[in-house]
Amino acid sequence: MDGRIDAVAPAPLQNDETVLLPERIGELTGLDGFGVGGELLAAFLAAFLVGNLMLAMTGVAGPWAKRKITAAFTDRIAVNRLGPAGLFIIVADAVRLLSKELVIPENADRPAYDLAPIVVASSALLGFAVIPMGSGIHLADPEVGLAFVFAVAGIASIGLVMAGYASSNKYSLLGGLRAVAQNVAYEIPLVITGLSVVIFAGSLQMSTIVEAQAETLVDLGVVTIPAWYALVNPFAFVLFLLANFAEVGRNPFDTPEAPTEIVAGYQTEYSSVYFVLIYLGEFLHIFLGGAIIATIFLGGPAGPGPAELGIVWFLIKIWAVFLLTQWLRSAVPRVRIDQLIEIGWKGLLVLSFANLILTAVIVGLIA
Amino acid sequence: MSTGLERERPPVEVTEADLEAVIGDRALSRDDHLNAPGFVIRPDDVQDVLSDLKERAGFDHLSCLTAQQYEDRYESIYHMKKYADPTQEVSIVVPTPTDEPVSESAEPVFRTADWHEREAFDLVGIDYEGHPDPRRILLPETWQGHPLSHDYDQEKPQLVTLTEHANPVQPDHHEAESDTMFLNVGPHHPATHGVLHIKAVLDGESVVDVDPDIGYLHRCEEQMCQQGTYRHQIMPYPDRWDYVSAGLLNEWAYARAAEDLADIEVPEYAQIIRTMGAEFCRIASHMLALATFALDVYGDFTAIFQYGMRDREVVQDILEDLTGQRLMFNYFRLGGVAWDLPEPREEFFAKCRNFLDELPAKVDEYHDLLTGNEIFQVRTIDTGILEPDVAKDYGCTGPVARGSGIDYDLRRDDPYGYYPELDWNVVTMDGCDNYARVLTRMQEVEESAKIIEQCLDLLEDWPEDERDIQSNVPRTLKPDADSEIYRAVEGAKGELGIYIRSDGTDKPARFKIRSPCFHNLSALGEMVEDEYIPDLIASLGSLDIVLGEVDR
Repeated sequence: MDGRIDAVAPAPLQNDETVLLPERIGELTGLDGFGVGGELLAAFLAAFLVGNLMLAMTGVAGPWAKRKITAAFTDRIAVNRLGPAGLFIIVADAVRLLSKELVIPENADRPAYDLAPIVVASSALLGFAVIPMGSGIHLADPEVGLAFVFAVAGIASIGLVMAGYASSNKYSLLGGLRAVAQNVAYEIPLVITGLSVVIFAGSLQMSTIVEAQAETLVDLGVVTIPAWYALVNPFAFVLFLLANFAEVGRNPFDTPEAPTEIVAGYQTEYSSVYFVLIYLGEFLHIFLGGAIIATIFLGGPAGPGPAELGIVWFLIKIWAVFLLTQWLRSAVPRVRIDQLIEIGWKGLLVLSFANLILTAVIVGLIA
Repeated sequence: MSTGLERERPPVEVTEADLEAVIGDRALSRDDHLNAPGFVIRPDDVQDVLSDLKERAGFDHLSCLTAQQYEDRYESIYHMKKYADPTQEVSIVVPTPTDEPVSESAEPVFRTADWHEREAFDLVGIDYEGHPDPRRILLPETWQGHPLSHDYDQEKPQLVTLTEHANPVQPDHHEAESDTMFLNVGPHHPATHGVLHIKAVLDGESVVDVDPDIGYLHRCEEQMCQQGTYRHQIMPYPDRWDYVSAGLLNEWAYARAAEDLADIEVPEYAQIIRTMGAEFCRIASHMLALATFALDVYGDFTAIFQYGMRDREVVQDILEDLTGQRLMFNYFRLGGVAWDLPEPREEFFAKCRNFLDELPAKVDEYHDLLTGNEIFQVRTIDTGILEPDVAKDYGCTGPVARGSGIDYDLRRDDPYGYYPELDWNVVTMDGCDNYARVLTRMQEVEESAKIIEQCLDLLEDWPEDERDIQSNVPRTLKPDADSEIYRAVEGAKGELGIYIRSDGTDKPARFKIRSPCFHNLSALGEMVEDEYIPDLIASLGSLDIVLGEVDR
């Protein structure tokens, strides 16, 4: 596609033109004049901002948007008593959830039981560190950005196993085991499909991947269709989307929770703040999945209008993925655990490798 | 897939002479019931006689087992029928002495005797020799005494201790290569459709053994009915057996048994209203079955669940107009129904017809969203297999039996109400799996709609001065002493039978309920062995049990 394919020489650690959020905050507040300590503080502030943006989004999504969306699919109205369109239910729910009694099972394996919700929630938050969200909101841009995202998102599996095992509940255990089996089966197709994007872009760096998609695919005169990888390689896009649903445990692959079968899976024994953390973690993972999809397949923050609108476009793309998960939740039955594993190992894995080889051949021929 | 209303009758009707020949000199005497010839046999001849009747006379359906205590003896009555023709019935009466109530178990001949004899032991106190699993079934294991026996002390407080659940297959599995895990599904679990406790043994994700533990919703319905008078006090109870909108169907079971017992006529006009109301209840009940089955397979309160509830709501409104109640109708009376159709009649007819007109589009929607969905098919086809032979052995009836290809529907085979005059079909499916049971229910909804439409036509044209809703029934009913009857109707879940013995007073001496859910649930173990946990849940959902009816 472009000259980056032959980038045998190490790519620059950071693109010269991108200014990351910590640097910008450092400049704005004058913290960059205080050496390493100032830089650290600026970075911390930036991370605080991004983290809160994401948490605020889950806050809207969990108690309100999810209810409204599901209700729309099932001919209902949902929350509408508190505030405009029931928006203040978010506050009410926050108070309600945080004021619940924290019930800890007698035989819980304590440090693991307490750590699990934190691991689940924080692993997703970490992933956002390398996502370019447009409008200059980008915390870090390491060379191995994509690998980093997959790696930290994968940590969540450990959290799920910890939760499942440490709760000392058979339903939790079953849920934890399912979560591991599922994540192992779907992480590989996910990464392999992500790799096909890397072949196109020639880099693991997020900013480079986004830039590569800014090129023109087709020029129709009136509109220019950009070379988003979802359009360049729709096959990979669909594969990635599917594997992502399994990875974040959404319908039709929500077997680790499977409410009618194993009560609530690994989170059965969690209440109060811990429950909120696990729930937050789940939503963050959906959004992180959406962010990865937006970044490597949908041109990141790209969209019509000035570049300053980047964050808006980016959030729209994330929410589109979220909407899709809710749509599937309302309309698609859950597959059985053995069928899920079969789809993963026999279907998606094979297809993702086929996609990888095909992409490599095509890119090799063109380049 | 479905057959016409006329079915092939078995060529030979078994006459009483044939029965006498089969039973031979094992029959000590006769004890005929109003519905069937009855033969008294010795307690140690049970297996012999029952297997002879099954093999040589074709009585392959042990419909019910009634146990009761007389002043001088205990008695077990095996009500036997034929799946091919349920009007051919025979009762086998097994008296046992009061001081030593031991009778041979029929379990080796009919699997369904397993649960029935446990119940008879639990409530009445008869011991069945050779029973593989002689535990209590409805009451807790530590319960003292047998509530329906004469010497039971109701005043005595009962201490129910909690025993820790042991792994029931531990003894014969401890040397197996893989380890098993014991899992309590319920009594509080999202998918048990009420308070049901399934003791499941798992090998990884697959089910090795299940043991349904019932009785959490036992409300002494049989005893309560025995304390009510025939005329009015019993009719409210049937609504509370299968309490999810199948009320009128249940009421009909009592009405039919009591009317045949006391020889009461029902006016034709009332029969049509009954038929129409009952089919509305069937639709509502099947809608709920469909919705909750989708809930079990989808795992969330999803679109299909809400659509099912939405459409059931319309039926519920119509039933409210008709009966004045939404669930506990209490609409049937012995000899008719409580009141005529609501005025203005045109409005009621328009509402019903409106529902019928919209139904096909809704059914199409269900097929689009549910049965046509490939994931749904992958989940339900070839899971929860219930072979016809096994289904018969467990006494399964209703959509569960018809989903296994058993062509058995009491509305046609043992006609009552206005069904014989109408044009409709009995739906059967050969799949024997969860999918077949769902499809059976969906098609039965369409058949019920056909019945309702014909009833509406008849009701609309009915001459105004001939609208008799009740026949003339004495205020106090006292059926002849020692008359016994067992009658069944096609409830929402299957054959709902009532056994009544009269002692000449205005209250039944024994009132026994044959619950279709009780039998269907007992077959769960056969359906889910070696299946995965999700299929255990789906199979349970496909049985469409209501615990109020299982536990009574």
